[in-house]
Amino acid sequence: MTGKEILNKALMVEILKGLNQTLKTLVSKAVTIQYPFEKRKVWPGFRGKHAMVRDPKTGKDKCIGCMTCARVCPAQCITVKREKIENKMVVTEYKIDASRCIFCAYCVEACPTCALVLTENYEYSVYSRDELIFDKELLLKNWDDFVQRWPEDTYFNKFWQPPGIDPKRWPKTKQEQKPIPLRGAALTEQKEAVKEEKDETGNS
Amino acid sequence: MTEFLIRVIITAIIALVYFGILLLHVAYATYFERKVIGHIQMRLGPMVVGPHGLLQPIADMVKLVFKEDVIPSQVDRVIFRIAPLISLVAAMTTFSVIPVNQGWYIGDINVGLLFVLGIAGLGTYGLILAGWSSNSKYAFLGGLRSAAQMISYEVSLGLSIVGVILLAESFNLTEIVQKQQQYWHGMFLIPQFVAYFIFIVAMFAETNRVPFDLPEAESELVAGYFVEYSGMRFGLFYLSEYLAMFCMSALATICFWGGWTIPPVLLKAWPWLGNIPGIVWFLLKVYFHIFLFYWIRGTLPRYRYDQLMLIGWKVLVPLALLNIVVTSIIKYIF
Repeated sequence: MTGKEILNKALMVEILKGLNQTLKTLVSKAVTIQYPFEKRKVWPGFRGKHAMVRDPKTGKDKCIGCMTCARVCPAQCITVKREKIENKMVVTEYKIDASRCIFCAYCVEACPTCALVLTENYEYSVYSRDELIFDKELLLKNWDDFVQRWPEDTYFNKFWQPPGIDPKRWPKTKQEQKPIPLRGAALTEQKEAVKEEKDETGNS
Repeated sequence: MTEFLIRVIITAIIALVYFGILLLHVAYATYFERKVIGHIQMRLGPMVVGPHGLLQPIADMVKLVFKEDVIPSQVDRVIFRIAPLISLVAAMTTFSVIPVNQGWYIGDINVGLLFVLGIAGLGTYGLILAGWSSNSKYAFLGGLRSAAQMISYEVSLGLSIVGVILLAESFNLTEIVQKQQQYWHGMFLIPQFVAYFIFIVAMFAETNRVPFDLPEAESELVAGYFVEYSGMRFGLFYLSEYLAMFCMSALATICFWGGWTIPPVLLKAWPWLGNIPGIVWFLLKVYFHIFLFYWIRGTLPRYRYDQLMLIGWKVLVPLALLNIVVTSIIKYIF
């Protein structure tokens, strides 16, 4: 040991440095976010609770029963059953088992009509596993619940137009997908547009 | 005879009030600790129960009292029950002679300093007996460590105070405080800075606090000597640890910081400082030491066992002896 090292040890320089450091952090601002009372901002592309978009034009879901989501799901947690009734494909059963879902959002990317969505809502712990199996009504209800708490007037999910894929290869419906109006000016605009459309069709 | 009885009753009432105040102090000392440690780690500490978590210690106390009192089947029942009481009584008794202001004490005895050191040393029996009677390896190791640590550091604690006793020419705590007023700086901290350093280090070891918390090392011995304790019996150990911290801080304040007085230099410069009651200065100084406990807990890791012994016997004891020699020579010459 050199003389300097001995002096450092005798004067406890390193301990004093440490104490200085902790005193600095003691007076600096805490970084805690007090979770249940204040929440962190959710970034676009967050994959949370499953929901089915309620189309503001029709008030129903946009699912056409193409089974793409069930086929693409790596965890195989989506069950779709369909029947041909009066020459039309009708979805008789639609289930997502959220307890088995791995939140890859492939179903959202694959859905040609942008009917499915993984919302930004991450607070949906429940007391039994049955409650995590969402059928169509529950998925629509999830959407309504989510929309009520969504701060903006419109909603658009990043995975409806899958990033990393050439936009020309998206289905036409996906290419034309616009942010969904939820409330306020955007919704009234949409309603007027729908009215005009109806009038036009009625006139012709 | 009646006069004697009245005095006994009055003393008992004062002691009870003192006891209550100390319990409340311990409750909020835990809150203070959690806040300080939290902010050192850039957290907030308790925030939910009451405004800024102010009712947290009360919630903790209620929880401790209502917890099931588990006594393992293999323990030595009598000693297991007595051990926490020994450490609590030892910790409480020291406060009977500690003056918090001019004339504010329960008992004023000539050998106050020795009394405090002796009774504080008795508290070790509680820890050792708890470790022994629990019939558990962790608790036993914790008890052994506490025995070795207490013996080693009580030596340097006692020797460090000898310098103060030489300067004050008294064992009486009130007289020690009054003697410090003769100096312009009003505290033994300046002539006895080596002794103060030794006292602080030994104080941490005596109260089993970080960086010398080997008897209750949570990362190796789970909780050390009180592993098998639960509910209020655990609470009593907790209580006695915080009381010991308060007692040692009070002793450091009285012996080195001039107790409830302020330096005469300051008093001369700003005479209005004399209007502030002495207990305010006393508590400020004591809480500075308690803050020191928490600050160092938030900074330093635990020493190894051989390092603990090395610091105790090879550094602190020779340093304390040297301090006594130098102090005596200077005292003899001047």
